[in-house]
Amino acid sequence: MSTLQTRGVIHVTDNCKACDHCTFICPTGAISGRLGQKHHIDQDICVNCGQCLINCPFGAIEDTSMVAKVKEALADPEKFVVVQEAPAIRVALGEEFGLAPGTNVKNKMYAALRQLGFDKVYDTEFAADLTIMEEGTELIHRVYNALGAEGFEHAGPLPQFTSCCPAWVKYAEDKYPHVLPHISSAKSPQQMFGAVAKTYAAEQLNIDPANMVVVSVMPCTAKKYECNRPEFVASGYKDVDLVLTTRELAQLIKEKNIDFLNLPDEKADKFIGLSTGAATIFGATGGVMEAALRTAYEILSEETLDKVEFEAVRGIEPVREATVEIPVKALGKKLPVNVCVVSGLKYVDDVIEDVLAGRSKYHFIEVMNCPGGCINGGGQPIRRDTY
Amino acid sequence: MSEIKGKVLKHDSQTRIMHWIHLISFLLLGLTGIAFYWDIGIIYKIFGGPANASLVHRWTAVVFTAGPAIYILLNFERFSKFIDTISSFTKDDFNWLKTMGGYVPFLKGDIPPQDKYNAGQKMLGWLVILGCILFILTGFPMWIWRHEVPAVFLNICYTIHFWDAIIMILAVAGHFFLAAIHPKSRVEFSSMMIDGYVDAEFSAHHNEKWFNKLQQSQ
Amino acid sequence: MGIFREKDGITRRQFFKGAGMIAVTAVLAGVFAKFGIDVFAASDDYISERIAGLYTLDEKMAIRRSHKNPEILQLYKDFLSPGEVKPLSEKAHHLLHTKYGQDIPGLITELQKHQHEAA
Repeated sequence: MSTLQTRGVIHVTDNCKACDHCTFICPTGAISGRLGQKHHIDQDICVNCGQCLINCPFGAIEDTSMVAKVKEALADPEKFVVVQEAPAIRVALGEEFGLAPGTNVKNKMYAALRQLGFDKVYDTEFAADLTIMEEGTELIHRVYNALGAEGFEHAGPLPQFTSCCPAWVKYAEDKYPHVLPHISSAKSPQQMFGAVAKTYAAEQLNIDPANMVVVSVMPCTAKKYECNRPEFVASGYKDVDLVLTTRELAQLIKEKNIDFLNLPDEKADKFIGLSTGAATIFGATGGVMEAALRTAYEILSEETLDKVEFEAVRGIEPVREATVEIPVKALGKKLPVNVCVVSGLKYVDDVIEDVLAGRSKYHFIEVMNCPGGCINGGGQPIRRDTY
Repeated sequence: MSEIKGKVLKHDSQTRIMHWIHLISFLLLGLTGIAFYWDIGIIYKIFGGPANASLVHRWTAVVFTAGPAIYILLNFERFSKFIDTISSFTKDDFNWLKTMGGYVPFLKGDIPPQDKYNAGQKMLGWLVILGCILFILTGFPMWIWRHEVPAVFLNICYTIHFWDAIIMILAVAGHFFLAAIHPKSRVEFSSMMIDGYVDAEFSAHHNEKWFNKLQQSQ
Repeated sequence: MGIFREKDGITRRQFFKGAGMIAVTAVLAGVFAKFGIDVFAASDDYISERIAGLYTLDEKMAIRRSHKNPEILQLYKDFLSPGEVKPLSEKAHHLLHTKYGQDIPGLITELQKHQHEAA
């Protein structure tokens, strides 16, 4: 009932060896099947995160592919195809070409996308910055509302949850409808980008948005589901048309025989392609939180941070918390902001129960479905490292 | 040679029981295992579906592991002698392997005298020991730690388990052929499967070194 | 007609071979367990490495705060909140914000109405 359209993205193929590894990986318990019995995904419970896919020992789980449609759009001269890439892509795409994990291939990635025939190469990081502007301001409004300031009555309750992760949003819709008012109303960067591309960018470029195809390259399989949600048509068209995963982008590059490692360093196109370091770290768990803190701190205190790093929210533990004292100039006092970072949906239940029971001391909670954040998403290169 | 009368006790009762247990559990494990790998519906039906076949496979594996383990604990002396025999490779063993003990028609030559087990049986002994250790080491993580171990480790376990099974099924098939069907050696069948005895004359011929030792100690 | 059987008792050599075999089995199990533990320990190293890659990239960026992104400021000034940088403007609400769960059908109707007005 929650998402109107529960079209599953993740499927178990016949190659399933019934090893039962995935039932423990799955954060929502959507996978059924006993040891020895071919497994099955319940599409109503599945949040399309793809963790089972990247953790299947036999590669027997697949996601629906939009590669054919992307190729079709690229080949169509009528279509103006623009592309956005999530932050997590640039430190993982190189792995498909033999580079070590974490190697930054951002500028080669732009070059590769141009060679693939995309008309404009933008960056989801731009939309991530936009997300911080909207979501950060929303948080400030919620805090003012909680403090009883006038003019902020329309703001939602505290704590505020992040809304970037489509798997987390679907999970909340399916399992905890009462927590929905706590989730930031800001769209995820992918969807913000689509909405802005088909309005603002189309206007600037003088392109009919009807002919524009927005392709996004995501480390995520849930983004394929997200772009098909019926409400994401704010531009008057489907905001994001097609989604590729990191793996599929690598496949396209290989099919076109592009010598990826020797590509020149290029830059993203202007208008909606410039990014900041705050947007880059969106791909890591705690990154959205840190980016939001950088902006919220400077806007509220009207000071400039000497040190923009908030080490306290970094790390890979599934649940981390920190308190940041922000001197709020408008109030003339220091405001302690309690934040919490969750990576791994398995660990979010306790946090939600606390919020629903009114016990939560947090103001802002970041939730990412995948352990470690988007860099370990279901669309990322699959690693089979031993040591 | 034909003067030698009497019988030789080759395998005592506990050894024979252990062999039976191992044989039956191996057949069950092999049958279910083949069903898993090639998805054979008929075999699944015998066991009541794949999940139940898997249950049978796992609990039979416990018997398959516990049988020899208990046997070794109760019969440490016998086990030690067995290891001693199969780990002693002499010139005679190598020469036996050169002619394959006369089992291969076109390989002619003198067959050197053998111990309680001939060189081929010694090699089968090692194959079975190593194969079983691998089965156990890879099999139990696939069951008990299937949720905890990383995907790549699980994949390695499945791969080793599969190839181990292929080799073992072929080895056991050869073992069965020589011990139960081949006219030259099937007389030994009853010594393991039934009463433990072989004709002294057969031993004197096939396991000359061992028989000589038995005669001396008599 | 006699019955031949092996003598009881074992030699030192036989004992050591039997005990040795059990020891070798234990060592093999240990080696395999160590292998498993090493694989386990290394299996998610790539997560930290990718995270470190992002933080390193962040350090190298000229601009490290979202509200200092000139293109973002331009977008607000030219389009979302003409003339100023004001998040949560009406246009921003329309394009950049959404609703969840049971509120979605209402949101879709709203968006369709907006489209009609625009047309």
